[in-house]
Amino acid sequence: MTTLGGGSTIGRPDLWHRIATSLLASGDQILVLVVLVAIWQVLSMTLGSYWVGSPWGVATRFVAGIGDGTLLHQASYTVFEAAAGFVLGALPAVVLPFALRRLPIATAILDPFMVGGYGAPKLALAPLFILWFGIGIESKIVLVAVTVFFIVYFSAQAGICALDVGLVRMAQVMGATERHVARHIVFPGAVPYVFAGLRLAMPYAIGGAIIAELISANRGLGYLIQFGAMNFDTTGIFVALVATTCIVFIGNWSVNAVERRLLRWRPVSDVTLQAGT
Amino acid sequence: MEEPLLEIRGLAKRFAKRSRREPAPWVIQDLTFSVSEGEFLTIIGPSGAGKTTLLNIIAQIDVASGGEVRFQSQCAPIDDPKALQPGLACRIGYVTQDDHLLPWRTTLQNVLFPLTVQGRLNAETRTRAEMLIRTAGLGGFENHYPHELSGGMRKRAALIRTLVYNPPVILMDEPFGALDAQTRTQLQEDLLRLWNLGKKTIIFVTHDIAEAIALGDRTLVLSRQPSRIAGKHAITIPRPRDVRGIMTHPEFGALYQRIRAQLQ
Amino acid sequence: MTLREAAIDLDTPAPVRSRQHAVTLGRVALAALLLLAWKLSAEMAGPLYFADPIKVVQRIVVDTLSGSLLRDTYVTLRLSAIGFALGCGLGIVLPFLLRRLPRLTAAVEPYIMASVGIPKYALVPLFILWFGIDDAPKLWLVGLLVFYVVFIAVFAGIRSVDRGLIDMARVAGAGEAAIAREVIWNSLLPFFFAALKIALPRAVSAAIIGEFLVGNEGLGYLIEHSRQNLDTVGVFAGIVVATALVLAINALLVTVDRRVNAWRPTDRHMQV
Repeated sequence: MTTLGGGSTIGRPDLWHRIATSLLASGDQILVLVVLVAIWQVLSMTLGSYWVGSPWGVATRFVAGIGDGTLLHQASYTVFEAAAGFVLGALPAVVLPFALRRLPIATAILDPFMVGGYGAPKLALAPLFILWFGIGIESKIVLVAVTVFFIVYFSAQAGICALDVGLVRMAQVMGATERHVARHIVFPGAVPYVFAGLRLAMPYAIGGAIIAELISANRGLGYLIQFGAMNFDTTGIFVALVATTCIVFIGNWSVNAVERRLLRWRPVSDVTLQAGT
Repeated sequence: MEEPLLEIRGLAKRFAKRSRREPAPWVIQDLTFSVSEGEFLTIIGPSGAGKTTLLNIIAQIDVASGGEVRFQSQCAPIDDPKALQPGLACRIGYVTQDDHLLPWRTTLQNVLFPLTVQGRLNAETRTRAEMLIRTAGLGGFENHYPHELSGGMRKRAALIRTLVYNPPVILMDEPFGALDAQTRTQLQEDLLRLWNLGKKTIIFVTHDIAEAIALGDRTLVLSRQPSRIAGKHAITIPRPRDVRGIMTHPEFGALYQRIRAQLQ
Repeated sequence: MTLREAAIDLDTPAPVRSRQHAVTLGRVALAALLLLAWKLSAEMAGPLYFADPIKVVQRIVVDTLSGSLLRDTYVTLRLSAIGFALGCGLGIVLPFLLRRLPRLTAAVEPYIMASVGIPKYALVPLFILWFGIDDAPKLWLVGLLVFYVVFIAVFAGIRSVDRGLIDMARVAGAGEAAIAREVIWNSLLPFFFAALKIALPRAVSAAIIGEFLVGNEGLGYLIEHSRQNLDTVGVFAGIVVATALVLAINALLVTVDRRVNAWRPTDRHMQV
């Protein structure tokens, strides 16, 4: 990421200036971190750790929670809900556009329903799923699946529509059958788009699991947050929040890592697909 | 006399009407020529003369509006879009202007691609592919992805991808047009060398007269739209040709002038 | 004509009137099928799990006539609007401020981007603890969600402004305020509108979900409260109204967008 503005580089060797700027920037960032933690500490001393917890308190509780396994245990429920729902929602979302590829009429018929499903607030269905499936992990999995489905559907659709017909004709001249084209050209071409969709859907998967847990659950990180709230245990809430954020990061990192591996062939200039925030 | 390998008779093509006001213009009309086996035929024409369209029709990518295409004495179905057989069962190879390399395959995988879809991939064909890669000067780049190759290297890869499955006829549509002069000359030499290895029939379209003379046994000149054959020229310069120094050959000048006159 | 163009030329079927009819027919058929499936599920699974569609409609009518549904809808919308205004305002102002402090921006940027990863809904219990059980925690939720969407878009938009235009304006004598107003604001308008299209429905969504967790009014409260009372008809009715509301807002935005931007040449990468 480049910095906005910046000083004059006239008369300075470019490399030296760049090293200095980047060191300064990292130093600044560490400084900001220190300042933020210091502010937190001051707040906890003045307002009391009842309201904001304390950096040290949260850190020790967090480490203890990992050490005795309780935090990981609860986190595993949330992770499982998010992951299972993710797979359950993403698979049909990828398969459907693929299967309907040769039936544009079917896709056209489905379109307004898909757009409606995409625009409708899926998270608002959380109470309904809890009504149907209970307060266990099933309701969370279904909620995540429905949310992820619509997001990935449109990305997969875009990937299939982005088909380079020239490549198809080239392959046909060489004797490729319809199956060959689907397997060697349509599918690999759609993968970058599908991954953009997966990356987009990932935070929704975890967020959906957490929301459903907040409404009603007896396990998971969302449950931990509510439990902390009900017992006025602010430190507990913060620990669960930190754990949740860590999971989001790990999830993002995993999707990116898999994508980097599978998409080594992509030219670096394909930046439009990489914008996934 | 031997039957020519490929015969085009009275070929005609117009595109679908875009506006109601006027009928679509004829791109190709009354085009007739033939190609013998093992011949290197070059076709020159001004831009927009329908050179690519002609190749598309021969390769069974596009339909014609009239006329006949006979391949190995058999009439090819060229008027019904549903009856088209792209590549005529792998007997016609087509090297297009865009290399159309599959971006997600390495160089070696791209070259192996036609063998894969034709079900002919085995140890022997694989070895042949690897040899072709080395002969084309791409040795060491087998595991590179297309975006890591230069323009010239991609063209080479596209070329040997067609050579690897040995179609008897190869169509080439200005394959070296987008390259710089140095690379182009190098690739022309490589092409002639590869053509010599197994005498294929090549139909090579270009807008560059010097290229047409340097490479071909015979050159056809296409007129402007509606395109027909404006002239046929036998290139009497003996092989092997010196591509770099072709312009210094005594017969080059006169040939060049004759062809250029017909292009006006 | 290249290979690609010829292929597209051959492939594209001419739009036929009968094809349009078939699509419309198919859509109507699918909608009818879904309604039928709903009715069948209601009969098979029982009234606890599936509310009868007719009863749902009746409940909606009754509640509308009695005014309680209108009241709940109003509460939710008011919440969304205020939260939206707050988040939007801050999301616009902050990037402009940061623009003048490049060093601070560089230092703070990674933390802002990292904070995007925190699921905002997870913060609601904390907000309830801090701000009480009235509208405040919900406003914070909506405000935060809207803020992030708008902030990132405006931030990116400002960053993408053509430096040449700014230099030109400066040379022509424009002060910082004039540059901000004329050059930067206009350049980032497409980003901003794209963000609005996302943020507005999301604000309503967030208000509803906030109402799941706290409060005693609003569409979200209606849905969750019905669930707790095992009043399935109420749950269905609430969801239908909430969904219709958000979809209506989406449709409205699309129409406004089309009308307002009719004069713009379509910039493909702006379509969100």
